[in-house]
Amino acid sequence: MKRLLPILLGAALGLAAATSALAIERGGAMTFARYDDSTVIDPVYADRNPDLWMVTGLYETLLRNGPDGSIVPGLAEGYDVAADGLSIKLKLRDGLKFSDGSALTGADVVFSLDRARNPELGPWAGLLGAVDKVSAEGNQVTLTLKNPDPTIVSILATFNTGIMPQAAFEKAAGANDQEKARAFFEAGPVTSGPFTMKSRVQGSSMTFARNPNYWRPGTDGQPLPYLDQVDFVIIPDDATRILKLQAGEVDAAEFIPFARVGELGADPALKMELFPSTRIVYAPINTRETRKDGSKNPLADVKVRQALNYATDKNVLIKLVTFDTGKPMTSLMSAATQLHYGPEPLYPYNSEKAKQLLDEAGLGGGFEVTFTTLAGSADDATLFTALQQMWSPLGVNLKVEQVDNPTRGEKNRSGDFDIHTYGWANDVNDPAQVTGWLGYYKQRQAVGTGWNNAEFNTLFEASNVQVDPAKRKDEYKQMQEIYAEGAPLLFLFETPFAVAVSKSIEGYVQTPLGANDFSEAWRAK
Amino acid sequence: MPSLSYLLARLLQIIPTFLLVMIFIFLLVRLLPGDPAIAMAEAKATDAQLEQIRHNLGLDQPLPIQFLVFVKNTLTGDLGRSIMLKAPVTEIILARLPTTIFLALYSVLLAICLAGPLAFLAASRVNSPVDVAIRSVFQVGLSMPVFYIGLVLLTVLGAQLRWFPVGGYGTGFLDNLHHLILPALSVALYTSAIILRNLRASLIEVLDADYVQFARAKGLSRRIVMTRHVLRNALVSTVTLLGLSIGNLMSGTLVTETVFAVPGVGRLMLEAIFARDYPLIQGLTLTFAVLVSVVFLLTDIVQSWLDPRLRQS
Repeated sequence: MKRLLPILLGAALGLAAATSALAIERGGAMTFARYDDSTVIDPVYADRNPDLWMVTGLYETLLRNGPDGSIVPGLAEGYDVAADGLSIKLKLRDGLKFSDGSALTGADVVFSLDRARNPELGPWAGLLGAVDKVSAEGNQVTLTLKNPDPTIVSILATFNTGIMPQAAFEKAAGANDQEKARAFFEAGPVTSGPFTMKSRVQGSSMTFARNPNYWRPGTDGQPLPYLDQVDFVIIPDDATRILKLQAGEVDAAEFIPFARVGELGADPALKMELFPSTRIVYAPINTRETRKDGSKNPLADVKVRQALNYATDKNVLIKLVTFDTGKPMTSLMSAATQLHYGPEPLYPYNSEKAKQLLDEAGLGGGFEVTFTTLAGSADDATLFTALQQMWSPLGVNLKVEQVDNPTRGEKNRSGDFDIHTYGWANDVNDPAQVTGWLGYYKQRQAVGTGWNNAEFNTLFEASNVQVDPAKRKDEYKQMQEIYAEGAPLLFLFETPFAVAVSKSIEGYVQTPLGANDFSEAWRAK
Repeated sequence: MPSLSYLLARLLQIIPTFLLVMIFIFLLVRLLPGDPAIAMAEAKATDAQLEQIRHNLGLDQPLPIQFLVFVKNTLTGDLGRSIMLKAPVTEIILARLPTTIFLALYSVLLAICLAGPLAFLAASRVNSPVDVAIRSVFQVGLSMPVFYIGLVLLTVLGAQLRWFPVGGYGTGFLDNLHHLILPALSVALYTSAIILRNLRASLIEVLDADYVQFARAKGLSRRIVMTRHVLRNALVSTVTLLGLSIGNLMSGTLVTETVFAVPGVGRLMLEAIFARDYPLIQGLTLTFAVLVSVVFLLTDIVQSWLDPRLRQS
């Protein structure tokens, strides 16, 4: 019997796996409640999350992000980066077609990538800044680079390099590329991704229909997607979006407030999905010697910034704001980001250490700091109240200043703040974007903090042309250590993407970059 | 009916109102802290990209030049392109406006249907248990914010009992009536409470007036007394109040349309303000100004029909 048990167990597991694969059912529709509508779903012009998180539903990229964050083949069967890092060759799959049945060729790839790297068009052209030329011969596509770019493989799996049909796009009405893009989108574009756009009422609803010519097969060997269509409804109010889900009018609702996660998780009709994300919540600290008004800035001293980090009990904040769904930051980037290095949470709560650091900085007698929060944000209000209580024993008098989002952005850019709240999610499956944003002075003065660390900047510049993966990994390790030591941020927490889904829907995924992936979603009948 | 000269005079009064609205809204949106280019780029853009966006939007021009361009374009019917939605403002507003007007008319009709008969009932039985009950119930409607009434209606009638859809907008007239009943009702409960109190008080006053007593003494039928003498006089102040309520209702759509996920111009205004979408905010404010002016003009016309003395003054 002992010998028979493993065989029986293996057979049972095999049967379960086979049943699971067979259980996938094709057809039907699902309705998804979104917090905001898309404006223009175009790889080049998408500039808001509601746009760019939908692009890959319509436009397939040459490479794709695998479920574990690795880069896997997409429209291209594979890729080959030259030893000197100055070119990359990709071979397109045979028989690729757009949704209208026309052939997807190398010329479409050249058109799409040239458009994506045109600095006069959308905001993402810089991601392909290293590309000198894109050419195609038959199914062979070659990108020639001006300098080695270790991010290029990830960029070819990013939404802005989605492949569009040259002929159909150029036929669209409009005097320039932007007008053509809008006309092309409004008419229900010809697509290369798993879906086409069937209909749309701006601000209200949108329907994606199955692209019958999509290349990728499902587990049953037939082409994806499994669903015939996905209907989107726009419900900006959190409470209404949840009520619509509870009433059974929609099958899924995104951006569930963390306060409601427990309640919806207990609902027998729903699954509360907490998808791992690259989203971080942090607070930039102004590190300049003087404030905007000319007064001396106590936060310019690294010991003060470290003290405030030690005086912040992240676990309490995680409980209060994310209802225990978040986790402390272990680096400047989320743990789901490639090349993340952070063996343990940064600055674990230690009030003694905080006091000692403030004494060493000569500020043991206390000082005043302004915390800029988003008006109307319950999370920010909670953060402020908690920090005020945590920091007051150190003599830190925390004042609040409430502003709206554009004002906060302007304050950040002009350096007119002490500390303010901010959030981030990666758009690219590579650490360069978040590292440049948060730490590289020449890009945005290290997320407006004014933190200017020469060693960090040099490492960042070197890593951007580093073709040796091991060396690049080491450079990123060093950058993350320097950044943690310099503490230009209040390191708060990482949060998941919270989506509540009906139990009749399987296979929907929100990727760590935020993209909504319906390609393998299916409805149990 | 009011004379043509009266109508022309009222229309001419609207012109300076629009000019003032244009100047105020142009300056007010620019006085708000926050840069549309930053709001548009979601903070990730570089300074050079922001400069380019500002240049493309004409925001790097001096304010007087921007204002002249705004006035010139508005007079030719061009309200500019939305920064946020990357489309012509006129086109966006025209697509969303019918929804808001539909919701506004629906709620006003519901409010009149609720308040009218009940005001008559309450006024004809002053201080009776019926009168007290009607007033008490509507006092609750007056005391609660519209968004709270909305959420209660959504939870009970939508999510729990599933009698009506939880927010959204339908396709076609009947489907829209079905979809918008809860938002219309939540606004109507508030508006009807105001109308009911006013109409009840006016009716009580008029029912006691000498000319009504005289009409009754002449032996006129109850129907003629009510329609010719009571209602016509009692309605003068109620129509004024209704006009003001519709004006308020336009600004109230900001909240109602957001809670009920109705894709109208109210919700659009809220989104435009957060995005510092200057052309869209300006276009929507002008649209609201036109709508409110039209409502006030209609109110004046109805009032002058009800009370000819107003035409002479």
